[in-house]
Amino acid sequence: MQYLIPLFFIFIFVFAFIKKVKPYDTFTDGVKSAVPFAVSIFPYLVSIFVLTELFEKSGLSSLISDFLSPVFGFLGIPKELTKLVLIKPFSGSGSLATLSDIFTEYGAESYLARSACVIYGSSETVFYVASVYFAGAKTKNLFKPIVISLFASFCSCVFACFICKIM
Amino acid sequence: MNAIFGIILVITMTLMLFVSPEEVLSAFISGGEKALALAVQMTVVYAVWLGVLNVFEKTGLSGKCAKILKPANKFLFGTLPEKANDYVSLNISANMLGMSGATTPMGIKAVREMEKYKGTEYAIAMFFVINATSVQLIPSSVLALRIKFGASAASDIILPTILATLLSSVIGVLLVKLFIKKKS
Repeated sequence: MQYLIPLFFIFIFVFAFIKKVKPYDTFTDGVKSAVPFAVSIFPYLVSIFVLTELFEKSGLSSLISDFLSPVFGFLGIPKELTKLVLIKPFSGSGSLATLSDIFTEYGAESYLARSACVIYGSSETVFYVASVYFAGAKTKNLFKPIVISLFASFCSCVFACFICKIM
Repeated sequence: MNAIFGIILVITMTLMLFVSPEEVLSAFISGGEKALALAVQMTVVYAVWLGVLNVFEKTGLSGKCAKILKPANKFLFGTLPEKANDYVSLNISANMLGMSGATTPMGIKAVREMEKYKGTEYAIAMFFVINATSVQLIPSSVLALRIKFGASAASDIILPTILATLLSSVIGVLLVKLFIKKKS
């Protein structure tokens, strides 16, 4: 796996020589757009991070967590994993931290840890993707796509807890 | 997004009013700080990937890669303008391979490119759902973390993850096909 990126890079630059593409000029030219890119998504990042921060600090996340635990439990998601399922759509770093906590508490080999890994690996930060990909975009009505994504991700969480029991 | 943002903001701040009113402003500020830290870090990551991917594009390789994915793209998105098709293909390939630094800039470019044309709402919705349900095949960050915590068979989660991620993407794609109308 660790060879993938270096090989990919070597391949590209060797191919550039063959195709007589100027590597220095082209690379630099591509880099140029990085700063305007970051600037254009920054405001959206601030909004989504403020949202995440308030969600956690206000205790709303643990309130919803407590409230949903029985429902999740009914669907086979252990209550220890409710927080992870809830935080994942908002924040990549937050859910990675939650994942580490689960590892520390229950061990990396436990059923809980394995399910948590599958949950983490099979779902995305839906709200983050929504805010960044559509930074400055004209498309405003993302309600349906967001609901669909959240629902699909939730299904994969239920599935994750189930499959880790049998595999 | 406006509705979700507004509702969550009002609920959380009201809750904090009773428990910790002094933390409302500091939560806003620490959110902003985290965003800035991430933006700085991402600028560097994007710079590297945008540089490499520009070389990739100029050699004509991205067009070739897009050609391979064209039938799949056609099934998912309908007919896309050529440039949008290139970015969509790059984004999805980078996603599958777990090159997370490359997915976001390509994703933004793809959305901006698709928006230039009329009747692409469906394609944009589909593109978003595919990205938001994750199509990463090898969960590299999870694997690294598990190894760090001393799991002996760290890779035993790869197959379940692939299955779960496939399931979420399939459900997502089906729901988009069911509930979002294709125009044009």
